[in-house]
Order: sequence, then structure tokens, then C-alpha cells
Amino acid sequence: MPRLRERGRAAPAPGGSEPSAVGMTPGAVLEVEDLRVTFRTRLGTVYAVQGISFAVEPGRTLAVIGESGSGKTVSARAIMGLLPRSADVSGSIRFKGEQVVGRSNNEMRDYRGRNVAMVFQNPERSLNPTMRVGYQIAEAITTHEPMDRRQARERTIELLKMVRIPAPEQRFHEYPHQLSGGMRQRVVIAIALACGPEVLIADEATTALDVTTQAQIMDLLLDLQRETGTALLMISHDMSLAAAYSEDVVVMYAGKIVERASARDLFAGVRMPYTQALLDAIPRIDTEPHVLLPVVGGRPPDQSVLRDGCPFAPRCPDVQQDCRDHAPPLRQHEPDRWWACWHPIQGGAAR
Amino acid sequence: MGVLASDPGRGGTVTAAANGAAAEAPPDGDVLLDVRHLVQEFVLRDYGGAKGGVLQAVSDVSFELHVGETLGIVGETGSGKSTLARSVIQAPPPKHGQVIFQGRDLVGLPRTALKAARRNLQMVFQDPFTSLDPTWPVSRIVEEPLTAYAVGTRQERRQRVRELLDLVGLDPARHGARHPRELSGGQCQRVAVARALALEPKLILCDEPVSSLDVLVQAQVLNLFEKLRSELSLSYLFIAHDLTLVRQVSDRVAVMYLGKLCEIGPVRAIYSEPLHPYTLALLTSVPDPDPARAKRDPASVIKGELPSPLDPPSGCRFRTRCPRAADRCVVEVPELRALGAGRLVACHYPLADGSPPAERGEPHIAASSAGTSQVPAAEADI
Amino acid sequence: MSVPAADLLASAPAQDLRAGAAPRARGWLRNLEIAVPGTVLVVLLFFCFIWPLVYHVPDPTVGNLFQVNLPLWSPGHILGTDTVGYDIMSRILYGGRVSFEVAAAVQLIGLVFGGLFGMVAAYRGGWTEAVMMRILDVFIAFPSLVLVLAIADSLGPSETHVIWALSAFSIPAFARVSRAATLRLRDQPFVVAARLAGTKTWRIMLRHLTPNIAPQMLTFSLLGASLTIILEGALDFLGYGIPAPTATWGNMIATGESFISVYPRLVIVPSIFLLVTSICLNMMGDGLRARWGVR
Repeated sequence: MPRLRERGRAAPAPGGSEPSAVGMTPGAVLEVEDLRVTFRTRLGTVYAVQGISFAVEPGRTLAVIGESGSGKTVSARAIMGLLPRSADVSGSIRFKGEQVVGRSNNEMRDYRGRNVAMVFQNPERSLNPTMRVGYQIAEAITTHEPMDRRQARERTIELLKMVRIPAPEQRFHEYPHQLSGGMRQRVVIAIALACGPEVLIADEATTALDVTTQAQIMDLLLDLQRETGTALLMISHDMSLAAAYSEDVVVMYAGKIVERASARDLFAGVRMPYTQALLDAIPRIDTEPHVLLPVVGGRPPDQSVLRDGCPFAPRCPDVQQDCRDHAPPLRQHEPDRWWACWHPIQGGAAR
Repeated sequence: MGVLASDPGRGGTVTAAANGAAAEAPPDGDVLLDVRHLVQEFVLRDYGGAKGGVLQAVSDVSFELHVGETLGIVGETGSGKSTLARSVIQAPPPKHGQVIFQGRDLVGLPRTALKAARRNLQMVFQDPFTSLDPTWPVSRIVEEPLTAYAVGTRQERRQRVRELLDLVGLDPARHGARHPRELSGGQCQRVAVARALALEPKLILCDEPVSSLDVLVQAQVLNLFEKLRSELSLSYLFIAHDLTLVRQVSDRVAVMYLGKLCEIGPVRAIYSEPLHPYTLALLTSVPDPDPARAKRDPASVIKGELPSPLDPPSGCRFRTRCPRAADRCVVEVPELRALGAGRLVACHYPLADGSPPAERGEPHIAASSAGTSQVPAAEADI
Repeated sequence: MSVPAADLLASAPAQDLRAGAAPRARGWLRNLEIAVPGTVLVVLLFFCFIWPLVYHVPDPTVGNLFQVNLPLWSPGHILGTDTVGYDIMSRILYGGRVSFEVAAAVQLIGLVFGGLFGMVAAYRGGWTEAVMMRILDVFIAFPSLVLVLAIADSLGPSETHVIWALSAFSIPAFARVSRAATLRLRDQPFVVAARLAGTKTWRIMLRHLTPNIAPQMLTFSLLGASLTIILEGALDFLGYGIPAPTATWGNMIATGESFISVYPRLVIVPSIFLLVTSICLNMMGDGLRARWGVR
């Protein structure tokens, strides 16, 4: 079971909440604690991530779910150290117990790729269109591990085989535009895996792909995870994808984690109304034609203002006065189940 | 005089009038759109203009769409579904075939006649941002079709724009003067819908209208489409790559693969009992949001890549990835044939036949029929 | 299942955070990139066109043989006089007028004719486009200066002829830019939507295409103006441009060239003005291009 931890900022955690301590999660390869990211823009300060904590364990898959603007991608980029200079990062990100926040650029370069690698949403933009794919993978290998060209080539072909690209010797010499979207994403995955990272972040890695290709890529990622024991951090907006492929789920809204549980528990009984809204909004393969989906109105709050109260309160169907007055902290209420809500849905379920 | 003056019941109070007439059109009403043997090809040219190859985007596609009906078209990238929609609206016109809309073939119509016919045929595009001119304010975007068809006086047009914005859930006073970049994706898509509705069309072609939106916004916009359909008795040709979306909005579904129709039929039948192996493959690829159900068998995921539309496979186009492919599939193009109530399928060995192809009897066929039984299980869960 | 109307009226979530958070890197520098050349150009334009109206400036074509070869900073002649007693300052101002007039006229002609040509070619596509663009290729294939010289020579020296000669070079250039910009827009859904809405072709070009390619055309015309000023100077220098008594920067350099070893300022002063104007126009174009995100 995952040891996921989060301390709500507002309350000093009575009852079920675990005390905060450094490096308390045994076996976690990556721990994020009270991560905060703010951007200073011309229009003001944007509180993109407001104190989130989670841990990723080897061989497990953690899905971070949220809409655009929920802070999920910003968190992933903070872990990779890929945020622009206008971003202020505080809190801690520890890779195998070692602090990552505040490292110099040179130190980060070695950490990226070797320790933590990332697969982006758009395979077109993550590959150099003027370079043969083989060389792009070989380059990723040789920047971290000095080896001669023949060795690099052999390792590249090995990687291409690993991501199940047929006829790897031929593909080695092809340009990205000669490959299909799915093949390109496989190449991107091969580059990410080039130096055997212990954590792989997939940031909407299959969003731009077709369903059948998505299924192929997700199966590939899970197989590779089984083979290599890599921890997988899956960033997605798609609840069904998380349910089908991940073990643990974290739901983010307006820069905060609002619910956290194992995938099985979560979909057996949702507690946080926002999670329920997300689930309800997905048309199912068994939805009857012409049935209106239950939707919540409104839009996510403006994150340039810090407010009291639950961020979801203005849109929540079950809102009450205390929700508007005080933000509910994320607390553990049941074994391995966490939610940030004063009035959780009792026995709420996936439709 | 324009529509506004001649049709006060609609022009003045769109919503109220529509609420009264919310009755659903019978699915077997008159044929609104009849597409026959539509072929769309693009000649690719190498440097210097030499003919480099012919991209067969849509190859011999025929279907009918009835008044008040929504036909969903599903397919992956490269299946030709968007090209099909563009060919229907004659932008660009197809190479061969007929597009009979309201009893009139649009292909080869002179410009003025085409303009008249298009009045009842509008389109909503995938990307809400690129489908709106970034230099125009919202109210002018929605007014554009009214201006082009010289509907009503200026005052009446303005009034109609306000009603339209109201109808799609935008505040005319707040959003009317804004530019697309000042709106969110969902709001832009609402503007696009308002523009499509301006001329009170009979049919709206929706080319992946919600694919680029966030889940919650997607649900809001889908509900808007559904509300408009019942209130304004519209017909939709709804294109999507997402089977779950199509199921929610459609009466019938057509599945496309590499420019050809695989299967077409009523929604429930197609989803509970797919006949074409490709439909089954699509269905089993959809991630299930309920982890309590058995995880999908990885063996049922179809392997391989979409073949090049420049050089499609002989015979059945799906044969290179089909677990049921046999020798006959290589040589003979499967024709779309009737199989069951209101269903057409283009497959030599459709799944419902029960008997696997005689030539081959390998275990992967067992895997795919196991997949079939999964889907009715999902159906029972409603 | 029914849904309250309020839900349908609900609007979509706010802007993408990443876009809002994108750093405005070196914002002040980018402002300077436009502000500095802009100011210089405004000052130049003021002195060339307004100043002679409000303040007495010596006639640039009337020399005083008693006051030849005055050095810089002479009383009444800030930049001195030349070998026939013309006031250099005055000749610079009047010469600047010619340069700006020619540059503006050439850009305007290029913008209107070339812009329209390219837009029509790209929007119509097919054979029309192929034929139209081949015609342009013929013009572009010639080395521009040789082509301009040939036309200027056959037309004979005068300001209007220089403008037409230089336009032969600006029209194809604008046509290419406008074609490329239109090609990118032609299949954009909003143009298709306009056609579906029944908007007439000329209206689509005027109302949809023109405003969208305008930033690109404007930045290009600033870059083009910088080149035009240089080319015009070259034409004058070679004697194919505006005939001698008229003050132009090119003419000043041409006449000064004979005395370059004795009075280098006769060449240097107009050259500096030519250079500064050209660089400012160029910087302005580049700065605007970066600001508007034009490729």
C-alpha cells in the first residue's frame, strides 16, 4: 500500500492525521512534501500549487488527476526542475532522501534523465524534427553515460526493441515525421528510459493519441514498469485512464490535493464532491443516448487570490456555510483514504 | 425580408418557442442527408510539382441521415472522418459521389445555389480558438452569417445575436464585445455554436467539438448540444474519436477506418454487439473508470499501426491488423452489407456470425470473442 | 436525468495557468528595442518634414559661393557647407524627405499591389496560384539592384520613376510574404467557417485575411523601407536616380565622393544619416515582429 502523506495547511492535524517528519515513507523513491509553487507575473502572483505532498514508490503507479490549471503539470515540472525563473518553489522534493529543490542547474541536469525522466504530451514537439530518431536516443544516452558510438548504437537499438518498435535497425535512421504519433511517443519513451530512471513522469502522455494507440502505449508503460521497477507518476485529466491503469490516485483542484486513495477504494466510493463531479462528467461506454450528463457549473477559482474556505465551495452542490468559512484540510479519515471536505459524500460511488 | 420578420415565433423568443416543440423527431423520418459513394482524394506533389502519390482520404462512403437524427462517426486519426465532413460541406468538394442534402445534390452546384443550400448546413470545428477570427469581437462573429445572407435589418440582427448568445449560455452584455482570446475554450466553443445556429440550420456537422476541452467543460458543452437538439429539432453529424462521447449523443453510429466505413447501425446494437473486428478493438481500448471490473485483456488491444493512406492494403483495409483476417480478406474488398436490424457491416467474417473463418482457427480469435462477451457485461451494468 | 439551467449557463474554466505564468523575459529590453529606434525615427521625420515649415532653413539648392567648404559647427551652417556652398544640414533634411517619401511610396505600392497579388494567389490556389507565383519568380530571380537599374534607366531619372523602379522589387517581395501568410490562414477553421456562413470571397479577404496578416505585412514593410532607402541612395549615387540639383542623400554621397580625401565629412555625414535611418527601421521591424509574435 502506498504511504501517501499530505498535511493540510490550515489545521495542526488532530485525530487521524499523521505527524509530519522527514523521510518517513519507507521505500519511497520520490517524496514531495508541502510543495508550493507561485508565479510572479505582470498581472500579479499566481498560487499555482498550494502545499501538496505525496510519495511515489518503485514499481507503483500514482495518477495525479485534475483539470487544466489545477497545478498538476506545474507540480510535475517542479519535480523535473523545469519551471521558468519566474516561479518560486518552496517545500521539499526528495529523491531517495536527497533534497532536489534549490539544486544548481548542473546538478539538475544529471538528476534529470538519470534519476527522473519525463514523457510529454506532444510527441511532435518533444522530438527534434531535423534529427534521425536513433541519434536523438543515442544523444540522450551519451550525455549521461560516456560510451563510444557503437555501444551507444547498440544500446539505442536495444531501447527501440524495448519500446516494441518493429524493425529497430531501420527506424534508427528515420526522421520523426516518418513515424506515426504512436511510434513517436514510443521514441520519446525510449529517450526517457535511456538512462534507466527510477521515476518516470508521464504528463498527459497519451492524451494526443487515439484510443487504440493509447491502450498500446499504456500497456507498454506498465510492462516496462514491471520489467524495470520504475515508479510511474501519471499526470492526466482522464479519470477513466487513472482508474484503468493506476494503483493510487491523487485528485487536484486549484493547486491543492482534494482527495487521495487507492484507485479501487476511490472508485468504490468517492468522498469529495469535486471528484464525484469529475467522474459524473465522463460519458461512459454504457451511457444511454441523449441523456444529459450531471455537470457542475462555474469555473475553477482565480488562483491569484488566496481565500478562506474550500476552493470548490462556489461550485459544490453540497456546499454549506462552514465550507465557505474554512478550508477543509486534507486528512486521513480511513486507512489509506484521505480527503479534504467537511461534508463528504457518504457511500458516494461511481454512478 | 429575412427570416426574422417572416418567422416571429422563432425570431423573437427562440427558447420559449422551442420549449413547446421539444418533441423528438422520429428517427425514421425523412432523409435529410444522403451521401452516396463519396470519394475524396488529394494529389500529393513532390518538389517541383511532380505527382508524388494519391492520398485516398475517403473511399466510397455512403450513408443516410434522417431528420432529427444524430449520426455519430467514430474513427482514429487518419480515418478520414474530418475529410468526410469537409467534403459534405463542399470545402473542398469531393472528387466523386453525391452529397444529397434536402433532396439536392451539392456536388457541382453553382456558387449561388450552394450558398443557398448551405444555409441549412453549418459546422462546428474542433479547435474553438482557430475557428474564430482572433481579430473579431464575439458579437460580430455571431452576426457574420446573418450579414452574409442579409437577414433582417441591422437592429434585428443585433437582437438575434443577443438571443443566440443567450441561448448558448453566454451573457450578451458581458461577452459580446470580447475577442476570442479573452474567452476560455469552452466559451469560444459556445460562440462557435451560436454562429452555427444563427441561420437556423437543419443540420450541424460537429467535427470533434469537445475533444480539446476539459472534462467538466466538455460535459457542459455536450449538454448544450443535447439541449439544442431537442429544443430546435436539429440533426447532427457528430464526429469524434471518443466512443463514449459518440454513444451519449448519437442515435446511430458509423465506424470508419482508413477512409472506409466498417460498420453502421443503431448505437445500442453497435456497442453491445459489435460486428466488425475493428469496432470491437475500439471498444476494448476504452479505459474503464471502474477498476473493480476485470482489467482489460491486453491481448485484445489491436497491434500495429494504421497503414499509409497513400498505399492502402488490398482487399479489406483492416486486414493487416485484424485478428480474424483470412485469405479472402486480401483479395476481396468487403462490401457494406445488411446484417441484423438496421445494421450494415463491411466484413467477410463479422463477429456475430459465430463461426470463425474456416481458413484459420487460431487462438487469437478466441481472445476476440472473449472480448465480445465483456461488452454486454458492461451493458448490463447501467 | 435533468440538469438545472444554471449548469448549462455555466462558463468554462479560467485561462490555462501556464500561459498566465509565462515569464515576460526581458520585457523592458523588448520595449527599448522599439522605443529607441521609434524615437529616433520620429525625431528624423519631425526635422525633415515639420522643421522647415516653422523655422528658416537655407534653400538646399541655392549655394553661396562665398561660403564654400565651411567646417562643421559654422555659425548658420551647423554641418557646414559643401564645395559649391550648399548648406549641408538643409540638404540632409530635404534629402531625408526624399528618402522617406520614396520609402513610404514604395512600401505602400508593394503593400497594396503585392499584398493583394499574394493573397489572391494563395486564396485561390491551384493553377491561378502556380501561374501568378511563376511570374513573380521571374522578378525575384533577377538580382534586385540590376533589375532596378535597368528599369530606372529605361524610365529616365525622376523621383516617380525611382519609386516605380523600386516597386518592381518590393511588389514581388510583398506578394511572397502575403502569400505565405495567407496560405497559413486559408485552411484555418475560421476562414472555412466564414465561407460556410456565406461571406463573399472579397469580404473574407478584406475582413478576415487582411487584419490577420496585417502585423506580418507591417513589420515586413519596415524592414523593406530600410532596404528601399539604401537602394534609393545607391540609385542616386550611380546616377540613375533623382537628378543632381535635387538634394538626396545618395546625390550628396555621389558628389562628395570626388572630394573624399579632402573633405571626408561630405560623404560621412549623409552616410551616417542613411545608416541610422536604415538601422532604426530595421530594429523597429524586428522589435514589432518579436512583440506581435510574427514569424
